[in-house]
Amino acid sequence: MSIARFSPFELVLLQSRSQVDTATLLLLAWVLVNRQPITDGQRRRRLAQVTAQFRHGHELNPVMDIAQQQDLQAIQLASEVLRKECTQERSLSIMHQAITLATDDGTLSLANHYILRFLADLLGVTPETLSTLFKELTGETLKAPEDISTEAYWQRHDPQYYERKAQEAAEKEQAQARAAEAERQQQAQREEREQEKQRRRQEREEQTRAKRERAQQEKARQRQQKQQDSQQRQRDNHRHQQQHEQRHQHDKPHTHTPPDRTSRALAVLGLTQGANRNDIRRAYRRMAQLHHPDRFFSESEQQVALASARFQRIKNAYDYLMQTYG
Amino acid sequence: MRDLYQRLALSPHATPQELQSAIATCQHSALKQDAEAVLAIPERREAYDHVHATVSDIGRLRSRLGLTHAAHWQGSVANDFSLPPDHAISRHDELVDRVSHAVTLYNRWRRFRGTWLFVATFGIGACAGLAAGFALCMRLWAA
Repeated sequence: MSIARFSPFELVLLQSRSQVDTATLLLLAWVLVNRQPITDGQRRRRLAQVTAQFRHGHELNPVMDIAQQQDLQAIQLASEVLRKECTQERSLSIMHQAITLATDDGTLSLANHYILRFLADLLGVTPETLSTLFKELTGETLKAPEDISTEAYWQRHDPQYYERKAQEAAEKEQAQARAAEAERQQQAQREEREQEKQRRRQEREEQTRAKRERAQQEKARQRQQKQQDSQQRQRDNHRHQQQHEQRHQHDKPHTHTPPDRTSRALAVLGLTQGANRNDIRRAYRRMAQLHHPDRFFSESEQQVALASARFQRIKNAYDYLMQTYG
Repeated sequence: MRDLYQRLALSPHATPQELQSAIATCQHSALKQDAEAVLAIPERREAYDHVHATVSDIGRLRSRLGLTHAAHWQGSVANDFSLPPDHAISRHDELVDRVSHAVTLYNRWRRFRGTWLFVATFGIGACAGLAAGFALCMRLWAA
């Protein structure tokens, strides 16, 4: 036996003409309090509207105030009263009223999810009955309450935050990219400058080398020219001598002619001893085709010079053989 | 819905600093991620605290009413928010006790009202007579 005073709800309950109605009133007021975006006046009016048939016979305001304070002991007392004195039909009608009040604005707040389920357990309403009742009243199925303690819930309900975060991250990345780009550009410019310098140096070197090479080539050509000239001169001398000799030989008997030069000329044309005039002409044509300086026109001057020297030798051999055989 | 405070071994009134250190030392990566997403941001923590308070109340109610194994109290909510039954007696019984106590007091008052009235009037009269005699004596002595 306690010596505490009667609590406000106990007084209301004692004054009430129907304790069940008063207890129901408190629980419905609790549901309404957990429906967030409405004012107290609206709550009060809505509660009066729903409980017009109740026979409690007292003011609604004290009950609303108690519900506003979420007085756990009062709610517990109301629950006990309901459980003790509620019939099956009455509990269904209370469920009905609670669902109507909780889903007036089309949504069911998280707290009311749990409160409705608590009421259903308290009044002995099975999950199937509750879901069918909910479907009938709202046209939607009663879903499981969303889990506010997970990140997924907030990703669904607070997408702006994540968008903002993503934007910030992107901006940061862009800034980093821009800095990296600037760095790269600077690097590239530096490299370009270096390359430019190196290229200039190379060009200078190449120019000097080219000059040197040109001078060397010039020298080589001159030398070759000189050689060729001297060879020509020697050969000319030779021919003159031979012609003299031949002239002498014509005078002399034929058996005394030295065969050495003839066999060498034949070797130059790729023939052996005893080739006739026709063979010599054919061999000369083939060799001239092979070794003509015009064939080496596209190649280096050196090659052309060598080819012309070879051709000269072949021509000389042919001329000599033609003279001797003719 | 899980009780993040209980899982982080914190009280629901923990300061942000305590919360930060608890999240930092948390070994469970999924819980850590959720706690960071929910509790580290003030407005989310407010929303969570509101639901948390309601669900804790419901858990306490259920434990007192014997509804901790009911059909609508399942899963992580039931795991985290079911409290052991405390020894608070039924509010209704308490009310009945209190009312009956008040009634006996009232009846006793009604029953002995005549006697008490007589005693009270006699007492008051005696007191008044004593006071009057005392005043008279004082005046005589003074004169």
